[in-house]
Amino acid sequence: MSTSPLTPGGASVPPPPIVPATPSEAVVQSFANMSAALTGFQPSFIRPFLDPVNLSGTFYSFAVVQVGQAMMDALMSAYSALSSQTPPLSSQAIADALLEISSPTPSTQAQLCQAIVAMWYLGSWYPPPFQTNGLHQVISSQAYTKSLVWNLAQAHPMGFSAFTFGYWSQAPASLETFGVNTGNGGGQ
Amino acid sequence: MSNNGASPQYDVVIVGAGVSGNLIAKQLGLAGKKVLILEAGLPVPDSREEYMNNFYLALAKTPEAPYPALAGRTGTKDNPAGKLPDPATLPTPRATVLGLGGAPDVSYLVQAQSWIATHPDSPEPPQNPPTAPTGEVRGLQFSSTFERNGGGTSWHWLGTSLRELENDIRMWTKYQHAVDWPVTYDELQPLWALAEKEIGVAASVTQQEPLEVVGLEYPQGYQYPMQPIPTSIVDQTVSQGVSGLEVPGTLPDTPGGSDPQMYDVFVTPTPAGRNSEPYDDRRVCAGNTNCIPICPIQAKWDPTVTLGKALDTGNVTVSYQSVAYNVAVDANNNVTGIDYYQWSRDEHGNLQKVSKSVTGKVFVLACHAIENAKLLLMSNNWKGIANKSDQVGRNLMDHPLYLTWALAPQPLWGYRGPLATAGIESLRDGEFRKYRAAFRMEIGNEGWNFATGDPYTTALDFITGTNDSGLNTDGPNGTAQRLGGTALALKLNNLLTRQFRIACMFDQTPLQENRVTLDVDPQTGKPNNVDGLGLPRPKVEYGFDPYTMEGFRMAAYVCSQVYKQMGATEFTKNNVGGTGDFTYRGVNYHYYGAGHVVGTHRMGPDPCTSVVDATQRSHDVQNLWIVGSGSFPTVCTANPTLTLLALAFKSADSMIAALNS
Amino acid sequence: MKKLATIILLAVVAVTMVIMTPTTTTMAPAAEPAIVLSSNIPGDAQFGPLPPNATNEEKLLAIQGDFDIYSWNTFIALNWPPGPDGNGDPNKTIGQNGDNDTVWEHYRNVADIFLPGGAKPSYNGSVSVPTQCKASYKPGMKIISQVGKTPTVLTDFSQPFNTGPLIDQDGNYTRYEILVNKPMFDYILQNTLYSKAGQKVFSGAVKFPCGVLGGPEGAIMVKAAWRVINPADKNRFHTQTVLVYSPASQNPKYPASCSTKLMGLVGLHIGHKTNSASQWLWSTFEHVDNAPTEAEVASGKLKANYNYYDPKCPASKCPQNQVPPRPWNPTQVSSFHSQVVRMDMFKGNEFAFTSAAARNADALKLLLGVSSSSVWQNYELISTMWPTNTGQCQASPGDPLGTPAPNFLANTTLETYIQGMVPNVSSNCIECHNNATMTTPVPSDFTYILQRAQ
Repeated sequence: MSTSPLTPGGASVPPPPIVPATPSEAVVQSFANMSAALTGFQPSFIRPFLDPVNLSGTFYSFAVVQVGQAMMDALMSAYSALSSQTPPLSSQAIADALLEISSPTPSTQAQLCQAIVAMWYLGSWYPPPFQTNGLHQVISSQAYTKSLVWNLAQAHPMGFSAFTFGYWSQAPASLETFGVNTGNGGGQ
Repeated sequence: MSNNGASPQYDVVIVGAGVSGNLIAKQLGLAGKKVLILEAGLPVPDSREEYMNNFYLALAKTPEAPYPALAGRTGTKDNPAGKLPDPATLPTPRATVLGLGGAPDVSYLVQAQSWIATHPDSPEPPQNPPTAPTGEVRGLQFSSTFERNGGGTSWHWLGTSLRELENDIRMWTKYQHAVDWPVTYDELQPLWALAEKEIGVAASVTQQEPLEVVGLEYPQGYQYPMQPIPTSIVDQTVSQGVSGLEVPGTLPDTPGGSDPQMYDVFVTPTPAGRNSEPYDDRRVCAGNTNCIPICPIQAKWDPTVTLGKALDTGNVTVSYQSVAYNVAVDANNNVTGIDYYQWSRDEHGNLQKVSKSVTGKVFVLACHAIENAKLLLMSNNWKGIANKSDQVGRNLMDHPLYLTWALAPQPLWGYRGPLATAGIESLRDGEFRKYRAAFRMEIGNEGWNFATGDPYTTALDFITGTNDSGLNTDGPNGTAQRLGGTALALKLNNLLTRQFRIACMFDQTPLQENRVTLDVDPQTGKPNNVDGLGLPRPKVEYGFDPYTMEGFRMAAYVCSQVYKQMGATEFTKNNVGGTGDFTYRGVNYHYYGAGHVVGTHRMGPDPCTSVVDATQRSHDVQNLWIVGSGSFPTVCTANPTLTLLALAFKSADSMIAALNS
Repeated sequence: MKKLATIILLAVVAVTMVIMTPTTTTMAPAAEPAIVLSSNIPGDAQFGPLPPNATNEEKLLAIQGDFDIYSWNTFIALNWPPGPDGNGDPNKTIGQNGDNDTVWEHYRNVADIFLPGGAKPSYNGSVSVPTQCKASYKPGMKIISQVGKTPTVLTDFSQPFNTGPLIDQDGNYTRYEILVNKPMFDYILQNTLYSKAGQKVFSGAVKFPCGVLGGPEGAIMVKAAWRVINPADKNRFHTQTVLVYSPASQNPKYPASCSTKLMGLVGLHIGHKTNSASQWLWSTFEHVDNAPTEAEVASGKLKANYNYYDPKCPASKCPQNQVPPRPWNPTQVSSFHSQVVRMDMFKGNEFAFTSAAARNADALKLLLGVSSSSVWQNYELISTMWPTNTGQCQASPGDPLGTPAPNFLANTTLETYIQGMVPNVSSNCIECHNNATMTTPVPSDFTYILQRAQ
């Protein structure tokens, strides 16, 4: 990669964040499962058996830097409580509960959940209203090229196609194939 | 590799390493001529990693997003798309989408701002610019942008490689409107063939045959270099949907006359400069849907390909970071040399500049319609050169772009394939061109990305409970919903897969008063706004005449007919008082720039009314060529890149002849 | 309909899981995989057991390790001295006399597959000898050449998509060649993919045969990078005396030339289609003296000499990884020397670095155990790229690339100028080869060689 001359005013970055400790496998898996419920994607799609890209870990750590460990811990506890109920709640019910769907004034935790959905869908951090000094940013190039809203369009991120010539004149694969938990038995 | 102007004799000095400049350099280099290209901006990078990374991290994925100078990568309330660099601090500032409509501290072009921009806290309702007694609307923003770097603006052209129509280039003879081009259709045919080979255009003459109705003709037996690009499901759906649709040439009460003839509306695939088979050591298109702003795999041709071939001749040198500021002429009105600033940044990032000169036998200005005009006007101590006609900077045109968008009844799966693969070209010519602007209609494959910033806008609508897209209205009493989980996913799938848009691009009238001048105080002669090198900024005055605005009126009608016939629900929304907003006959419209900047040094046979002749050679200055779309006397109905490349072949031949004589 | 989709999807998921969590009876023998001195080319990787309760990182490290062992076993078998039938000679051992002829160099060169006029090739037929080389040619000599005049063909001194040549410290251009094994050749022959006309009439999908562990070999393609070496350095390289041929070029303009040169192997790509990798396995090896790493340059801990780096030249005079300026003329000695640095492309994928280092140490011990003069001690594995999510000899639905690990991989001699970490642009074997087609736009199953058909 070449080094361009500096251009003042461009490429400003947020202040260097405190680097949080690497989260444990269990925490990352739990965050991934919660993300799957929130986003409507299959858990095995969010966190495959082998995950060399590891967006679950990246997004978890990024969120900790943005809102603090305490808030993330509280969220993970809330998810844990919801997901260990008997009889088990559906993933939709868990999502609706965390996002406080029926509330006209969602709590800060629910706002955080919205921001987490946006991380997965759009590869970017959209500061929730309570985060007064939050900076809107694309989290990383991989976060963009693996962002999921394009799967909802049964397409691909603009600028990153894994398909081959002429694919656009045929109908795309099913939404389930794109990783979505349609509630029709696709995936887990 | 940069040569700091220390080298001796060049045959040709070219300003600008863009479409025209690189092609001319290649042709001259192949003919054994020694060429120096002065490129204002940064070198072509060794790989497109840096540019793609810029794109991935950009908050707003505008055409300029990959290219320096960049917007900031973090957004705040004051700068939601990232902090914009101040053109006054940059050595090669240029017009950007993000800076458009702003004050000179973000907008490179100095031009009128909208009512909203100049009345930020006003309680009054916003207004559009008034209509002048002539019927024109003045004080509009020129909305097209460009790049200043190795490779130039066509890094981010879409790839559309349509030929002009026969009547496009003889508007005066045929329709008593505007002017004729000083070239014939027969002359352009072989030049287009050369351009199509240089680029690698994928198309089929058979597929273009229905357009004979608008005067598109090919030489017998002509074959494009590559098989056509397949159409998308969006194209196929529109094509089926408009079957049998006809529209009149003019709507009732069109000023000046009427054309009641009915014109068929049909879809044809678009010839494109992107690979449908391996060509020129470049890969086949993989449908990255990112032609604008940058193709990640260079399946789409860009001028750096031609620049590589120019450098291969061994006769071409490029001096980067070299901003030409004066074309020096002697008493006999011959160019003796070009003065330029070699700029760099020191270890603290401060801009440094050194003034240098270079001489040659033939000189070529190829740095974009706006920058060519600016350089001509700045030369000779700002008295200007090559401008006996007083046409330099005048007749500034674009294809003003009117965007409409809709939701189809069934999925048609946008966001896939090249950005556009087909269009409605069948309305580009007819008797109506006496009365109103013709237009082509580009069918977009990118959903509502251009129209509303989707999929981001609609996704955020349903995540947070807003309604910026106009689609979040299914809550109780038509309020916005907030969704999550599978419900959110299914809702977005339902909407995103049905989004599509059509862009109409108008053959805008060339007007004397649409012009580029230097942003200079007439009293003091000093620049009002400068760039980082102290050079004056271009000032732009722009507006539409009724002929052009009647085109908008027709386009809005045609689009709504298309959507109606398809059973699609139109969502086109036009605002008031913002950048690119205007009112015509009581209806509000919004226009974008298509990136097609033409007219500022138009060609013609008469030195009193044109700047260059049909070879793009200055009428006034014998050893000066001024090339590019700035030479177009009218903007016509096709995207300009193919034609401007075709003309560059002709110009190169004339330069070689001049050097050899 | 939906239920069937569910069953199929679950079955595919289960199959995928089986591939990557082997302890079932249908899988490999119980022994742990290991690098061995053997002329047997592995048909596929062999998988050891995963650590219990392994983290994501631990799983990746373990399986990367299995693939890196596979890569070394393949490297050893392909570089084994061949017998008269072209297969590895079981009576000899790699490097026992220092250097040796190799199995892969008896594979078929693509120059002799994609012939002028689309003529039918043969696997063992004579090689085409360019006019300028005829005087110096002796049967059995390797010819490293530019292939043909068709504009779509990759020229063999320029890296993919004509991004630029690699020029060594002596000003000589690095030369490339591509060879394929018999199963790959046979597929091309049987499906008449060796000519443009044949490709035009081919219907269906191009699908090269998959290797199976303990079974058929599957398709293998090898890309080698060579540089001109000094006879005094012979004992540090695998070498061949070859004819270096450059056909005439119009732009840049230079005449054809052919000369006999002593060349040393500096880079080796091995692509292998296997049952566990429908997106192929990509192993890449380099000569240990090619270039310093970023870290070595920063710390100043440099060797005295490199193939592609001058430790005495400051960055201001020798900018690193810069493409040589055009025009490129491989028939002349260049004043520009490439200053190559190995960039760290494993950030976030440190398991790739860890595994390769461990496997290189194991392999080195084995090779030195044969002979302390083995030239093969001078080669190291950079890494193996493998798809983490794939079915048996077919892609997983919805994941055409198979989510490769590591995320990026480059050989400094073969992808010099795209050593970065930018998706879709920086070197990623699978991502890039996914764009490969024939002379028609039909996907060619991850190989660019079919584009060379005439």
